[in-house]
Amino acid sequence: MSQMSLTPLHQALRKAFQCIENNQRTWRTVLDECGPLMVSLGNLAEQFVALSKVDLYKTPLKVFPDLEEKLRFKLHHATDTVMGKLHEKLSSLQSVRDSISSQVSSVFQIQEQLSQTLDISVLTERSATVPSVADMMQWLQDADRHYRQQFVKRKSLLLTLRPDDFSQMESAPDRWNSLESPNTEHRITDMLCKVSFFTESQ
Amino acid sequence: MTMDLLRVLSVDPCDRGSQRCRLGPGLMSSLGLNLSSPLLVSISESSYLCTAWPRPDCAEGFIQMDPKSCSPNLTFHQSTSSHININQISPVQCPKLKGIKITVVVQSSDFKSNTPPCVIHELVKDMLKGVYVHKDHAVNLEDYGTEIKYAIIEEVNPDSERCGLVTSKTGVEILRVKTLRFFKGGVQQQNNTVPLGGLDEVRSSLREMLQLPLIYPETMCSLGLSCPRGMLLLGPPGVGKTQLIRSVAQEVGASLVMVHGPEIVGARPGESEEKLRAVFASARSMSEDGPCVLFLDELDSLCPRRAGAAAAENRLVAQLLTLMDGMDQSDRFLIAAATNRPDSLDPALRRPGRFDREVVIGAPTLQQRRQILSVLFEKIPVCSSVDAEELAQRTTGYVGADLSALCREAAMSKQTVIMKHFTEALKIVGPSCLRGSLGQIDLAPVSWDQIGGLNDVKLKLRQSIEWPLRYPDAFGRLGLSRSRGVLLYGPPGCAKTTLVRAAAASSHGAFLSVSGADLYSPYVGDSEKALAQLFRQARSCAPCVLFLDEIDSLIGCRSSGAGSSGVQTRLLSVLLNEMDGVGLKTEERRGSKRVLQTDFEEVCNSEVMIVAATNRPDALDSALLRPGRLDHIIYIPPPDQESRLSILKVCTKPMPVSDVCLEELAQKTNFFSGADLENLCKEAALLALEEENMEASHIRHKHFLQSLSKMTPSLTAAQIHMYQTPPA
Repeated sequence: MSQMSLTPLHQALRKAFQCIENNQRTWRTVLDECGPLMVSLGNLAEQFVALSKVDLYKTPLKVFPDLEEKLRFKLHHATDTVMGKLHEKLSSLQSVRDSISSQVSSVFQIQEQLSQTLDISVLTERSATVPSVADMMQWLQDADRHYRQQFVKRKSLLLTLRPDDFSQMESAPDRWNSLESPNTEHRITDMLCKVSFFTESQ
Repeated sequence: MTMDLLRVLSVDPCDRGSQRCRLGPGLMSSLGLNLSSPLLVSISESSYLCTAWPRPDCAEGFIQMDPKSCSPNLTFHQSTSSHININQISPVQCPKLKGIKITVVVQSSDFKSNTPPCVIHELVKDMLKGVYVHKDHAVNLEDYGTEIKYAIIEEVNPDSERCGLVTSKTGVEILRVKTLRFFKGGVQQQNNTVPLGGLDEVRSSLREMLQLPLIYPETMCSLGLSCPRGMLLLGPPGVGKTQLIRSVAQEVGASLVMVHGPEIVGARPGESEEKLRAVFASARSMSEDGPCVLFLDELDSLCPRRAGAAAAENRLVAQLLTLMDGMDQSDRFLIAAATNRPDSLDPALRRPGRFDREVVIGAPTLQQRRQILSVLFEKIPVCSSVDAEELAQRTTGYVGADLSALCREAAMSKQTVIMKHFTEALKIVGPSCLRGSLGQIDLAPVSWDQIGGLNDVKLKLRQSIEWPLRYPDAFGRLGLSRSRGVLLYGPPGCAKTTLVRAAAASSHGAFLSVSGADLYSPYVGDSEKALAQLFRQARSCAPCVLFLDEIDSLIGCRSSGAGSSGVQTRLLSVLLNEMDGVGLKTEERRGSKRVLQTDFEEVCNSEVMIVAATNRPDALDSALLRPGRLDHIIYIPPPDQESRLSILKVCTKPMPVSDVCLEELAQKTNFFSGADLENLCKEAALLALEEENMEASHIRHKHFLQSLSKMTPSLTAAQIHMYQTPPA
């Protein structure tokens, strides 16, 4: 009886794990694409700093009129382009997060609907091939939280960048990289391995 | 029983920030909790809002809570209780919310000023999605690793709910952005405020003063007003000066920078000044986050009166003065200071522009004590039969600290507190203003019945001492002002001192007794100072009975010529001044000014009653005897026959007497004073022992007669005649 009522829940769980597995790859690729952009942002900041330090009138370049303003404009333009690309990446990260979130919340919804018929003891039942529902849902929630946290962290980094604060912009690539949390990533991969029998047992 | 208690374990690292509460699955189903359904764990006044999850190992009897959403006072000090009862856990309904209003706590004011509000809004909205929130809880957002640390839920929509789930459709409105330091300060303040009673009037004036410049600086500016920036609280120790500042600051929502006088003082020259400047700088930076109060406790130790030699302190005072003068309109903080020794402050501090306002908090009056007691009673299991009114009446001179000590003493390890516990505690806890006071005595209480005869004198004494202390409202109703002083005179040995003792025991006021030994000192001016100090102390715990025994030797007579040394005359003048002076010092004010008008509150000088006793009324200065000073002059006559009989009855009560005719003895003992009669009984008893060799079981009439024949009365007819001609 209880096994019967578990079936839709199991279905939804399988779907969610599938979704996470796919999106994990997408997430990774988007992040990989972001790396070079962040580095170029750091470079641009470095150029800004160099430009403000140098006195162009003491160099052979003084023959060019309005060189400093033109260079500054060019750099601003380049920064804007990079930022625009980064925001695009951010929105694709957001779509990854959203699809994971919606899958996870649909699992929770199904569980809530079935909660009248399902006892806790059924939910905590586990076997060698199938982890308990409670565990799997917890993993789902953890993964969802991880992606949301990652997204907020990266978004906050980008949103709080100010074009006039070069040192902050210069350190942006390092800070971007430090946001990686390989442990949690690893835990998600681990979790996907744990449920591999379950997902394939259809 | 043990099944109901859950052991609290710390949160697993992987659960941190997940708002999970790990329980045993059995407990979850018995509480009707589903997977990830919300529950509220309440610990005393505070609570945690979590979602229920079974423990991975399915073990029962443990609980692990992630403090993602909890009451603000738990955010910095996690609850230390090691066990939680099952009935502290309750499942709650958490519908999806339409909207919430929040206060955001950020790490630094730098972030606050540099980040556009829409960015904060967007980030916070992302962070709060999927979180169960409870009204007045703080949601911990630290795990996101941004500068945004907490969100405090101020309001939820719909209003009918206390908690709910934030979804992507929930509207988030940011009311304020606070810095973490400000928030922390506020929470810590909240943790150590004590409820205060009876200070409402001082409190409201204080609050107004804090609120106007701190909350409405623009209005003050546009009116061209420079707001007051300094405030000095004066009052005896224990009235709640420090607590008052704390609670008002918390009420207004201002952060508090506390400075205790001695903390500032450093060993090296210049160190103290540097620390003081640092304190002002920190107050200034705090005031950027929001209203701020800089509180200098025990100001007298920090800024004593500048005198020639002690240069280090002079520099400190000068530094404080310059810092206070250096504050300008842009500094949005207020300086408050408290002291119980206003006289020792440097006068330069006490002018407008520095400490603009001085608020005197006196020892609490009857009404204030009642309010304090009612606040204190809320916390202890008081039986309903306890009469707060009577307790307030009996605790004259007790300040707030004394009253709370009294309640603690009464409530110690008792299930319910009844009046008897309070009367016991009253014996242990005395008013602190009397501690170490001159002339404080422990007296064995004497009841009126233990004094034989003298019925009309007793009545007069009760009228003038006991009634005004016990029934002030009746006196007020009849427009009767109480007498300032009573002089008892009469031949020696006629129970003057004992009468006063009985009066002191029957009226529950404080009772001070001084003799020449307390007052005289080899230093010029010291005795007068001691007497003035005595009066000040008596006033601070008024109503109070001040007993001057043998006043003739204590304070001489001005007219007796060169014989009287200077000290006695000076003491007399101090006494006259204290009894009937123009007014009293401002820092001795009690209650507030409004109370002065109702005449049965103990406020004025008249509440200290002098009782003097002498056997030489002719040696007293006539100025002392006029109405308004010692206005009741009571002659205590030597006992007549009837009184002698009753005195003998009292004296022989503990003695086994047989066939003794006390009437006869009373008849034969003309001119015997009370002391003589007592001695007579003693002699008779000794005689009985002498004759019957220690085995005596009774004192017989003949023993009395025998000892009477050996004794002569101490009084003579001439002496008595002298007393009967009225003095002066």
